[in-house]
Amino acid sequence: MDGQLLSDTFVELTDTMVAGFDVIDFMHMLTNRSVQLLDVSAAGLLLADPRGDLRVVAASSEAARLLELFQLQNDEGPCLECFRSGQPVQAADLATVSLRWPRFAPAAGQAGFAAVQALPMRLREQVVGALNLFRARPGAFDPAEVRVGQALADVATISLLQERNMRHSDTLNEQLQTALNSRVIIEQAKGKLAERLGLDMDQAFNLLRESARTSNRRLSDLAQAFVNGTDALAGLNVSRSQPRPPAGRPARRLES
Amino acid sequence: MTDGRPARIWSLVAAQAASHGGRVSAADACVAAVAAVEVTGAWLIAANGAQSGHLMRVTDEASELLAELQITLGEGPDPDAVASGGPVLASDLDEMEAVRRWPAFAPAARQAGAAAIFAFPLQLGAIRTGVMSLYRVRSGPLSALQLGDALTFADTATLLLLDAQDQTAGNGAGPAGAGPGGQPADLTRHRAEIDQATGMLTEQLGVGIAEAFIRLRAHAYAHDRRLSDLARDIVARRLRLLPDPDPREDGQA
Repeated sequence: MDGQLLSDTFVELTDTMVAGFDVIDFMHMLTNRSVQLLDVSAAGLLLADPRGDLRVVAASSEAARLLELFQLQNDEGPCLECFRSGQPVQAADLATVSLRWPRFAPAAGQAGFAAVQALPMRLREQVVGALNLFRARPGAFDPAEVRVGQALADVATISLLQERNMRHSDTLNEQLQTALNSRVIIEQAKGKLAERLGLDMDQAFNLLRESARTSNRRLSDLAQAFVNGTDALAGLNVSRSQPRPPAGRPARRLES
Repeated sequence: MTDGRPARIWSLVAAQAASHGGRVSAADACVAAVAAVEVTGAWLIAANGAQSGHLMRVTDEASELLAELQITLGEGPDPDAVASGGPVLASDLDEMEAVRRWPAFAPAARQAGAAAIFAFPLQLGAIRTGVMSLYRVRSGPLSALQLGDALTFADTATLLLLDAQDQTAGNGAGPAGAGPGGQPADLTRHRAEIDQATGMLTEQLGVGIAEAFIRLRAHAYAHDRRLSDLARDIVARRLRLLPDPDPREDGQA
């Protein structure tokens, strides 16, 4: 592990948290930093909706996001076990656990992952989610890295509480719902921007984040204003990166 | 996991509607929530877009007073829930925190008989349709089960308010069960794609976000397709919807 990168990340995370920030944007950053900092290929973050579902709120790559969704849909896998038990779950070699997770293990292999470490997000007695680390190469995870990974998961939990007091489970549940709804707003904004500029969803997301940073606004506020039509994101057309044509059949433009 | 929760809540709401023989509406979700979540009373304020809301349903006199107090005073859990985009769970109105937060409303609400208020914004991302609140004469938080149920009642009320905005559903659609509103929307599968497709439709159809979602659901219903499958086709650009009051497909891959 790169000590300089670790301290830079710590400074960046704490700086962000004292400055006021967008939880979803922050969790996205956490998954990216997990990949840079730890010996892993991808990371995904799930939050527990009190309605009874787990929801993917951030992932460092599309492959990680799909694999998280796969676990949720098939109701099996290390992330779910970690969430249900509130304990870390490690699978050092997914090729050897096909009896334990008959659907997840092959799907992870197909996605290019050979090992997984799932870390719980806990606040006292409540488990609010899990941070999941995927690695392309099999082998046990370094305990020192697992500790840092758990610290990143804990930072994600604390970020939900933001500046509010931590006395109540009420507060945590309020923030959890706000975060989950922010995720929905951001997806709606991605769709609108992707359609307007002919981008794929990742490009649209990056553009929204870039725009939020440039204008020093919270990502979810910007996304909400864009969806409501009160912010046209003027200037995006000139600053955006070259759009790729969307995969598959090219979209036909409709004149209305 | 509680996969059956939306269906269970929906059946409670539908049973409430059946008891008065009308179409299922958001008011039924408000009424049914009282017994299911074990609260004293509830109220629902419907708001269409940026317009200020109207008090659609109250279940008792105290509820009416609690709703009107917040409108009059301009403070309380309801406006905070709408502003923050998340629920406001005030499980003890006597606590200093509540009194500091709502110096006029908290004592007035205690006077009206409420010891705890739980306000849920009726929303789907950027789509805002109002707020539903529950109150109790005794203080204390909702249990995890009650919170999950209350959130699902709020989701159901949100969808029913959107159905009520849908002009086409009002024509010829029969009682409960006949339109898109006759079933709980399946938002648990491929949630991100449903939200992305809704955003895309604002551009394709030239409509607001609420209307885009209404059209997405109506299209899925009219073509007997799962909402998640339709959304994935739209996101993959295999399907576009036409800016036409009568939604038709513009060719499918």
